[in-house]
Amino acid sequence: MMNTFAFVIYPYLALTAFVVGHIYRYRTDRLTWNAKSSQFLETGALPVGIILFHYGVILALLGHAGGLLIPQRIYDAMGISGHSHTLVAYYAGLLVGNPAFIGILLLLYRRVARTRIRATTTMNDFTTLALLFLTVGAGLYNVLFGHYEVLYTVAPWLRGILTLTPAPELMRNVPPTYKIHILSAFTLIGFAPFSRLIHIWSAPVGYLFRRLVVFRRRTVRA
Amino acid sequence: MKIKAQMAMVLNLDKCLGCHTCSIPCKNVWTNRAGAEYIWFNNVETKPGIGYPKKWEDQDLRKGGWQLKDNRLSLKAGGRIDKLVNIFYNSDLSTIDDYYEPWTYDYGKLASSPARRHQPSIRPVSQITGENMDIKWGSNWEDDLAGVTETGGGDVNFRGLAHETYLQFKKVFMFYLPRLCEHCLNPACVASCPSGALYKRDEDGIVLVDQERCRGWRYCVSGCPYKKVYFNWKTGRSEKCLFCYPRTESGQTTLCAHSCVGRIRYVGVMLYDADRISEAASVEDEKGLYPRQTDLFLDPNAPDVIDAARTQGIPEPYLEAARRSPVYRMAVDWKIAFPLHPEFRTLPMVWYVPPLSPLASLADADSPETIIDRMRIPLTYLANLLTAGDVEPIRLALERLMALRSYMRANRLGDVQDDETLHRLGMTPEIADAMYNLLAVAKYRDRFVVPTTHRETEVEPHEFQGACGFS
Ligand code: HEM
Ligand code: SF4
Repeated sequence: MMNTFAFVIYPYLALTAFVVGHIYRYRTDRLTWNAKSSQFLETGALPVGIILFHYGVILALLGHAGGLLIPQRIYDAMGISGHSHTLVAYYAGLLVGNPAFIGILLLLYRRVARTRIRATTTMNDFTTLALLFLTVGAGLYNVLFGHYEVLYTVAPWLRGILTLTPAPELMRNVPPTYKIHILSAFTLIGFAPFSRLIHIWSAPVGYLFRRLVVFRRRTVRA
Repeated sequence: MKIKAQMAMVLNLDKCLGCHTCSIPCKNVWTNRAGAEYIWFNNVETKPGIGYPKKWEDQDLRKGGWQLKDNRLSLKAGGRIDKLVNIFYNSDLSTIDDYYEPWTYDYGKLASSPARRHQPSIRPVSQITGENMDIKWGSNWEDDLAGVTETGGGDVNFRGLAHETYLQFKKVFMFYLPRLCEHCLNPACVASCPSGALYKRDEDGIVLVDQERCRGWRYCVSGCPYKKVYFNWKTGRSEKCLFCYPRTESGQTTLCAHSCVGRIRYVGVMLYDADRISEAASVEDEKGLYPRQTDLFLDPNAPDVIDAARTQGIPEPYLEAARRSPVYRMAVDWKIAFPLHPEFRTLPMVWYVPPLSPLASLADADSPETIIDRMRIPLTYLANLLTAGDVEPIRLALERLMALRSYMRANRLGDVQDDETLHRLGMTPEIADAMYNLLAVAKYRDRFVVPTTHRETEVEPHEFQGACGFS
């Protein structure tokens, strides 16, 4: 029962909040749709922290997409065995997990220790960082000490969630630190639309293609 | 030829008294909000000095504006890819300490203090952290040269001059420089915004930040070489001077211009050829930037310009305003107004009439120095400020202003007119009279020629009632 709630109901609740929340927020509250940069108030640990964190997390997300969403049998067909897949995942995990985690520590440090940043940090900002700390921390712990085979357990479970064919029994024997990682990640997903994480969707790739100086013409009402 | 209309302003520095009146209504109306306490869309600086934010003019440090690299015009702070890769941390961003940490006082303590031997006093309290703080800088910190012996060396306008000389009491000079957004023809802030949130209004060239599209990537703040885009630390968005467009749309002038006690400000429309923008901003020799920008402006009385403008849909009120534009007369006809730091290559549209100043030395018959050379404010300093270092246009403007004074003096006293000097400077008595009228006695209607826009044709006014772009 607990298992079904945690690995079927909860993920769907989170995903629903994610989708509905983003649409709702974008339509009703565009004035706060931004990255809420704090660089203007205080640099200090920010440059190192924010860069390590972002590159780490973004690459980690891409790694998750590539490693978990694509079934192992496709990798098998490409001649990449489960063993080598795990090995690649291990080293890639170290490579991106460490910087991401160090980055979060630095960001948390300044949120707590620097007066101006503390004064302008909302509960929401802090919750976001705390959830990221938990998610990335557990993830890195699993890479370093977990050594649990996820290719035939967590990975197919996740694909089951996304293809609407949930298989919670796959999660039954997964070690607790993996469960923590997954549950905090889904909490983050559900919370994201209500936090500053909305800035992810505004990554301004359009900048590469538009003309530099923008003119806007008035639209005359019919 | 692609004709566009542009709102522009001229400030006659010869008359600025440095009273800061202009900044106050602007502050009260536009930036009197949390997160914007430190923001002054209009501020008045004393020159020489390093200004607000500190050293805003030093683009080796601030990396604002454009540069010519390999014969191509590019943003000094780096191109598109550079910006996207470094978006997490903008290493060129000035921080709040370059402006100042906003503060207030716990005034209640003055009233609630028990009777004591000494007057009660209160300490400044940060509006960000709520803690006691020391005030270290501000938007008018250097008022009337305060601290200039410390900071003066950092003023880039001393280029080519031994600044130590001018910081000595005997040689010292000063004037005021009121500053606002330049609403440039080639705005670096607009080009720097990855989200495309900043834009130039097609109809009047006013540069705005779309508050619903700003995502807080803060490249506009570092990209603007005049540091006139500000980061609201509370909302995480950028804000800037809006040329009081809700006022100009109804034919009123901006708040800073309206309130100016010295009546130093002029607002008008300029027609220009938008097809030649990049050409004018890419002149190789920096000294060529000012004359090339002047060439962009189209004669609003020329029949072919009027015809072309009509065909291209420029509304009649704009054409009418352009014909009466005080800016055109000062910038183009009389050449007494100049752009601020044209070498930033943004083609700024708030221009300045350079100030005359008292004579610093006695005439020496053997010296080739003219009266202009003997003025307290070095020509080179003004040229570094207004023409990328070219002293000749500044000299001519100052000579014209001096000739105007002699002309008026002779008029008043019934003296013999020095027609020869007027003639040598390309002036006639008619021009001198027109200059006198505009510079000295012009009324509201002549100083501010602002066309009305029929905004109601664009939006349903009732929907926007009570709405405010900032929140
Ligand atoms: C996809 C492109 C992304 C861009 C362009 C981007 C950009 C930014 C920027 C400019 C800031 C403000 C930094 C400052 O304070 O000056 C920021 C903050 C932040 N970003 Fe991102 N980000 C991206 C993706 C992500 C992702 C994928 C995550 C996490 C899942 C994330 C989490 C955060 C967090 C938590 C902060 C606040 C850090 C703090 O100040 O404590 N971002 N981001
Ligand atoms: S109100 Fe006019 S005279 Fe006073 S500081 Fe401003 S621009 Fe100068």
